Amino acid sequence: MRSSVLKWAVAAAAAAALQTGVAAPGEILIGAPISMTGLLAPDGLDQKWAYEQAVADANARGGIFVKEAGKKLPVKLVVADDQSDPAKVTDAMERLIKIEKANLILSTHGGDLNMAGALAAEKYKKFYMITTMWPHMWSPKKFKHSALMFYDAGGGAEVPFKIWQSLPESERPKHPALVMEDSPDGQGFAGAFRNFAKKYGYTFAMDEPWAMGAKDYSSYILKMKAKGVDAILLFGNPTDAITLVRQMKEQNFSVKYLHGWKGTWTGEFREALGDDSDYVVADGFWSMDFPYAGAKELGERYMKQFKKGSVVVGMFYANAQVMLKAIENTGSLDPKVVREAIVGHEFKDTVEGDVKFDKSGLALVTSTANQWWKGRHMLFYPPVSGGWQLKLAPAWGQRGK
Amino acid sequence: MAHGSRAGLVAAAAVLLLALAGAPLIPGALDSYLLFFLFLVFVHTVLAQSWNLVAGYTGQISLAQHAFFGIGGYTTAIVATTVLEGGDFYFNPLAMLAAGLVAALFAVAIGVPLLSRLAGDYFALGTLGFGEIVRVVLVKGGALTGGSFGISMPPDAFDTLAPHYWVGLALAVAATAAVYGVARSRPGLALMAIREDPLAAAASGVNVLRFKVLAFALGAFLAGLAGSLYAFYVFSVSPAGFLNLNWTLYPILMCVMGGSGTVLGPVIGAFLMTAVFSAANVWLPSAHPVLSGAMIIVVMIFMPNGILRMRAARTGRPVRWRWAAKQAARDAD
Repeated sequence: MRSSVLKWAVAAAAAAALQTGVAAPGEILIGAPISMTGLLAPDGLDQKWAYEQAVADANARGGIFVKEAGKKLPVKLVVADDQSDPAKVTDAMERLIKIEKANLILSTHGGDLNMAGALAAEKYKKFYMITTMWPHMWSPKKFKHSALMFYDAGGGAEVPFKIWQSLPESERPKHPALVMEDSPDGQGFAGAFRNFAKKYGYTFAMDEPWAMGAKDYSSYILKMKAKGVDAILLFGNPTDAITLVRQMKEQNFSVKYLHGWKGTWTGEFREALGDDSDYVVADGFWSMDFPYAGAKELGERYMKQFKKGSVVVGMFYANAQVMLKAIENTGSLDPKVVREAIVGHEFKDTVEGDVKFDKSGLALVTSTANQWWKGRHMLFYPPVSGGWQLKLAPAWGQRGK
Repeated sequence: MAHGSRAGLVAAAAVLLLALAGAPLIPGALDSYLLFFLFLVFVHTVLAQSWNLVAGYTGQISLAQHAFFGIGGYTTAIVATTVLEGGDFYFNPLAMLAAGLVAALFAVAIGVPLLSRLAGDYFALGTLGFGEIVRVVLVKGGALTGGSFGISMPPDAFDTLAPHYWVGLALAVAATAAVYGVARSRPGLALMAIREDPLAAAASGVNVLRFKVLAFALGAFLAGLAGSLYAFYVFSVSPAGFLNLNWTLYPILMCVMGGSGTVLGPVIGAFLMTAVFSAANVWLPSAHPVLSGAMIIVVMIFMPNGILRMRAARTGRPVRWRWAAKQAARDAD
C-alpha cells in the first residue's frame, strides 16, 4: 500500500514537473538573470531594484496595452540568480524561460555574463535586452535576438585623460598607474587606456593586471610607492576596490587622483570605507543630475530607500524602459516583433536621455565621472553648468582638516 | 548479494534508464525545466565519477577536476572554431573524444611528476596549483583561447536540449559503468590496494605510480568529456565559467554525500545535491548559498562516509573495498 502511494506520488511529481505551463493570462512576464550572489552581487542588487522600479512605474500607469489581450496588462518581473558566474547564466536563463515562462528578458551585468545570456537567448529565440557589455564583444556576433545599450570602452577610457587635460599643468598626474582586473571587461578597457595614454602623452609608471578576489594587495601598493605613482586608473569589482583603498590607507599611500571603474561607484564602496571614499572618482552610466525626464525623481527615490546615491540605476532603468516602450509601441509580446521595434529606432525621454539604436541593435550612451563626497556622487564629467568641481586628494593625514 | 535480488536490481536499472532515455519524447518535456535539471545531474555524475576514480578508489585527493573540465571545454571550442567549420562541430564525436584525450594527456603530463613525489594533502595542493596554471594559461592564451573573455561558438546549431540530454545520459551511464568495470577488475583491485596502503601495495608487486597515473588520467578523460558536453550546451567557454573551482568542489561533495569509493554513491550524490542546489536557486534566489552551505555542513557531520555506507556503518558490516584490497594483495602474491 505504502509503495503504491509512493509510486503515485512520484508519478504525480514527475507529471507536474513536465507540465508545459503557459504564461499566466493577463500578465506580461519579464525575466532577468541577476547576480544576486557572488562577486557582482552589489551591482546585481542595484540592477534588480532599477528593473523593479521601471516595472512598478509601468504598472502605476495602468500597465501596457497588448493586442492579443485587447487591453492593458500588468507587468511582472521575475528574476533568477546567475551567481556572478558565466556558466550559471545559462542555468538562470533556463529557469526564466522554462519555469517562469518569461516573454522577454532583461540582461544581467558584465561582459562575459551577458555573452552567456545572449547566446542562451539565441538558442531559445527569446529577446534579450542588454546593458553593461562592451559593444566590441557583442557586435561581431551579429546576434538576432538581442539589442545592446551601453558606451564603448574607447569613449569611456578617454574620460580620465580629458579630465586631466582640463587641470592646470602643475596638477596633472606625472606617474599614473594602470591597474586592471584580468577579466574580459578589464582587458577591454586596458587596451583603450593604453591607446589614449599614448595619444595624450602619458606613460604608465605601472601597468599590471591584478588578481580578482585577492585579500592582499600590499605588493601592488609597494610597487606603486616605489614608482612614485600619483594617480591610479583602476578597473576592479567592488570587493577588490574596497580592499585596495583600505590597504592603501593602512600603508599610508595616497594618490591625488584615483579613478575607478566597475567597483568604486557602488554604495557598498562608500559604506565599507566611509569618508575614506571621499576624493575617489567613480565611473558611471548615469546621474540623477542629468537634465532628462525622470532622472532626478529616480535618483531621489533611490536615495530615500537606500540613503545613498547611484550612478548606474538609471542605465538599468532605461534598459527596462526601452523594452517596455517597445512592447507598448507594438502591442506585442513576440520577441521578434519587440526586437524589430527597437533596432533602428529612437527612444525619446528615457532617464538616459534620447537613446538611438542603429540597425544592428546597438545604442551608445555617454560615460560619466563622479567624485565621492560625503556619501554622494558628485557629477563632474560631462560638466554640468554650476556643477561639482574635481578636488584632488591630499595625503591621508591631511584629509578632513 | 543473491542472484535473484541482483537480477531485480539490473531490471530496475534498465527500466529506469529506458524511462530516462524516453523522457525527452514526452510531449512538452523539452520545454520543461526537469529535463535541464536531469542534464545537470548527468554532467555532475560524470564529474563526480571522475573524482571517484581518483580519490574514492585510488585515495588520491585531486583538486584539479575543474582544470580538466575546462581543458575539455576549451578543446571543444578551439576545435569548433578552428578545425571544424560551419555546423560540423556540433556534437562531433571526434571533437568530444579529443576533449577527453587532451585532458587525459595533461593528466599524464602533470600526474607523473606530482604522483611520483607527492601524496595526501601535498598532492591535493599540487593539483590545485595545476588548476591555477591552466586558468592563467587560458587567460594569457591570446587569440587561441580568447583571453579572459574566452571563446564562443555559433549557437545556430542548437535546436533542442534533447541531444545534450541523451549524450549526457550516455556519458553518465558510461562513466558509472567504467567505474563499475574498473572496481571489479584486477587494475581496480590494485587501485584499492594503493588507497589502503601504497607501501603494502608496492611490496605486493603493484606498480603504484603507473596505476595512480592511470586513474588520474581516466578521471581527467571523464572530466574532459563533461567539459566538452557543457561547452556544447553553453556555446561559450571562459576562464570564469569553466575554470571555476565549483566544478571540483561540487563533485567532491556529491561523492562524499553518496559515498566515495562506491559505484552508485556519486550518482546518488549528484542527483540529491543538484536537486537541493536547483531547488534552493529557484525558491531562495538571493539566499541559496546559505542553504547549500548548511547542507554541506550537515553532510559532513552526519554522513561523512556517504549515504551508501550509512547502513554498513549501522550494521557494522565490513565495507566491500577492504575485502577487495585484501583480495588484491592476495592476487599480487
